[in-house]
Amino acid sequence: MTQQRAGMFRPALICGLAAGVLTAVPLVNCFCCLWIIGGAMAAAYLFAKGSPAPLTPGDGAVLGILTGIAAAVTDAIVSLPFENMNREYVQRFMDQFSQFVEEMPSGWERWFEGRAGGLSPAWFLLGLLASAAVYAAFGALGGLIGASLFGKKNLPPPPPQASPSETLQNPSHYQP
Amino acid sequence: MKREANALERKKTVLLTFLITTIAYLLWFGGILLAPYLRSRASPWSSLVYSVYSPVCHQAADRSLLCFGQPLAVCARCTGIYMGFCLGLVLYPFLRGWRRIALPPGRVFIIVSAPIVLDTAANFLGLWQTVTAVRLTTGVLWGTIVPFYFIAGMADLFISRQKKTLEIGPGFPLE
Repeated sequence: MTQQRAGMFRPALICGLAAGVLTAVPLVNCFCCLWIIGGAMAAAYLFAKGSPAPLTPGDGAVLGILTGIAAAVTDAIVSLPFENMNREYVQRFMDQFSQFVEEMPSGWERWFEGRAGGLSPAWFLLGLLASAAVYAAFGALGGLIGASLFGKKNLPPPPPQASPSETLQNPSHYQP
Repeated sequence: MKREANALERKKTVLLTFLITTIAYLLWFGGILLAPYLRSRASPWSSLVYSVYSPVCHQAADRSLLCFGQPLAVCARCTGIYMGFCLGLVLYPFLRGWRRIALPPGRVFIIVSAPIVLDTAANFLGLWQTVTAVRLTTGVLWGTIVPFYFIAGMADLFISRQKKTLEIGPGFPLE
C-alpha cells in the first residue's frame, strides 16, 4: 500500500499542474471547479493504467486530494501574471456588453473595483491555503469518480491456500 | 464475532463520515447565503465571503439567483449542484444505509452527468443560451449523486487508515 501511495505523486502532479494552469488562464477558466474534478479523474486514470492493483475508493480520494493541492499551488502562481489581463479582459468585455443591453448586470462595478488593488503576500498565502482546501475537496470527488470509472481490474484468482482476507480484491468495495 | 465487530466499526465510520460531511456542507452552503446578506447590510466582510467561493465559480451576477436583493456567492448552476448535494445527503441513509461502502456504477455517473455536461458545453460554444431554471435543474440532478461518491470514498479512506494502524500496532519503532 505504501508503494502504491508513493506512485500517486507523479500522476497527481502532472494532472494537478494541468488543471491549475487551465483554472488560471483567462477565457477557459470559466469552467471553474470542473478542471479540478476532471484533473483528478485523469490522475485516477493514469494511476490505474500503470498500477497492477485495483484503485480503491480511499486511494482515489487521496489521489484526488494530492491533485487538488497541486492544482491550487499552480493556479496561485500561474494566475499572478494574468491578474491584470483578467481585469482588462473583463473591462473590455463589459464595455462591449454595455452597447447591447439596456441594463448592466447589478454589482459588476463593485466587483471590479474590489479587485483593482494589488495582492499582499499575506493575502496571497491565505488565498493559497483556502484554495488548497477547496481544491482538495473537489479533487477528492474527482478521484472517487475516477476510481469508480477506471479502478476495477480483472485480477487472477487467488491461490487455493490463501484466505479470502488476503486477496487484493474486496467484493464489498465494488458494485456487481 | 470478529466479523460483527468489523461490521460495527465500519458502520460507525460511515456514520461519522456522513455527519462530518453534513456539517461541512451546512457551513459551505451557509456561506453562500451569508455573502448576499452581508452585502445587503453593506458589510465590508461580504467581499471576503464572496472571495472564498471565487476559485470554484465565475460568480456572474446575471447568472446567479438573488437573496436579500443581492446575488448568491455562486451562480445558479453551482447553487443547483449544492442543493442537489443536500438532496443526496437526505437520500443517502435510505439508499445506502450505514453498513455498505460502495461507489455508484460508472454508467450511473455518465447518465446523470450528461445533461449538465451537454448544457455547459453548448453554452460555452454559443450553441444556445440556457435559462436559469435549466441551469439550476441540471445542477440539482448532478449534485444529487455527489454525496454517494464522497461519503463512500472518505469512509473507505478512514477504514483503510484504521486497518493500517491496527496492522502496525502501538509498539512499532519510529525511525
